[in-house]
Amino acid sequence: MTLLSSFPATIELTRYEDIRAALFHPDLSRTFDTRTYEDGNIRDGIVSIQHGAVHRARRRVENTQFRADHLRLYERELFPAVMNDLLDRLLVGPEVDLFSIGEVLACVLASRRAGLDIHEDDLDELAVIAEFVDVFSQGAAILDAKDPDAVRALVYAAYERFERNYVGPARERRQALLDAHARGEIGREALTHDILTALLAHRADPALELADERRIVREVATYLQGGTHTTGQTICNAVDLLFEAAAERPDLLERAASDRSFAQRAVHETLRLRPTTPKIRRRAVAELTIAGQTISRDSLVVLDVTAGNRDPELFGAHPDAFDPDRSVAPDVPRWGLSFGAGPHICPGRTVAGGLPAPDGDPDDEHLYGLVAPFLQEVIRRGVEPLPGRGERDTRTERFNRWAHFWVRVGSPRAAASAR
Amino acid sequence: MGAMVTIDPELCIGSGDCERLAPDAFELREDLGVSVPRPAAATTDVELLVRAAVGCPTQAIRVLGPDGELLHAGNTT
Repeated sequence: MTLLSSFPATIELTRYEDIRAALFHPDLSRTFDTRTYEDGNIRDGIVSIQHGAVHRARRRVENTQFRADHLRLYERELFPAVMNDLLDRLLVGPEVDLFSIGEVLACVLASRRAGLDIHEDDLDELAVIAEFVDVFSQGAAILDAKDPDAVRALVYAAYERFERNYVGPARERRQALLDAHARGEIGREALTHDILTALLAHRADPALELADERRIVREVATYLQGGTHTTGQTICNAVDLLFEAAAERPDLLERAASDRSFAQRAVHETLRLRPTTPKIRRRAVAELTIAGQTISRDSLVVLDVTAGNRDPELFGAHPDAFDPDRSVAPDVPRWGLSFGAGPHICPGRTVAGGLPAPDGDPDDEHLYGLVAPFLQEVIRRGVEPLPGRGERDTRTERFNRWAHFWVRVGSPRAAASAR
Repeated sequence: MGAMVTIDPELCIGSGDCERLAPDAFELREDLGVSVPRPAAATTDVELLVRAAVGCPTQAIRVLGPDGELLHAGNTT
């Protein structure tokens, strides 16, 4: 039985504007009650479930790692090199699991941003990091877990190993650098730039509520997981949807391979149709009204993102279709509500998806995100999904999670289309 | 006289969305961890300012039009 089954009332919202209003509402909290969630909560104190002042203080510190200039460096210099090196090594053999490749690739960059010192060219170590991500992803989705107690035990054990082998040594190194900087022995440029460093630099601020060392471990784990999982899932969903659509419109593959703006719109369309979190939950901390509906205190409010993202008022007469060329209003993100909205909007949305794609040609400052060039490269390398060989993650109630996504490499049809 | 923009520093979480959308009107202050309006906000297209305010994750931006009319209050008081 999943965790959220004992609320006095459950309200479900399905219209885009209602969901958006709920995500912005200050009286709808991500913090759930102690009986079902916080008691033995594996995510205790992390930014994702903080509310109010602590959440704002934490985001101010952590958002510094997602500034456009940082992301430009990642997207234009770091990512292409890492991607091509890893694809050369991993995209070999007649059949490969694209989901695991996507996760490994994302692990390199997410580890850097989170603040882990890993051997980035060591595939065995990257596999270890990917295993952590898998466990932390189950923890992040514990409200949908089929066996929450098993997930809880798994995550606690992983935290111990994660702290001992990764966060502990990384923290020691970063604290030494921060101490040397405080003594005036080194300049700012000698400091590491990542979430862990930012947390250590500000942890004395009581507003952050980071006195407990384990909260820092969990926070770093959150950013590692969040920075990895969406990329792994979305690359598989994009390949799945694009090839399905290309069966009727073969030009789509060539366009995606050759036109990065189109590839980005394909990624945004993928995110819209297959949000990583199909249903977002909130708890009413006070009585409130949304869409003319009174919601009583302590109600569980379920925001059906999958439905909201297919609202015909915003996405046209055929909202279920995969159409990267669809026209949307400038103030509506092409990915809909898949990164959330409001204070808890995904801090890494620009990493994965880039900046909102304009209808015309983007300017030089535009960011395309990491999934769009990844999608282009796998098409250019002749990747083609093997029909019926995608395996869903059966450990969760979330319908759209891949556990594996098997593809054929060097497919003449895909490569020809890409040419 | 142009628009008047204020940002509630208690609400802002430094997402930088306003600066990305309207860099002439908003500045993300790394030292403060929050955004502040630039002087040029007064001459920035009002529609763009309202779009930035509507898109602000914490609704921390208040926009008054040239005539003093409230165009967007968000969660500011």
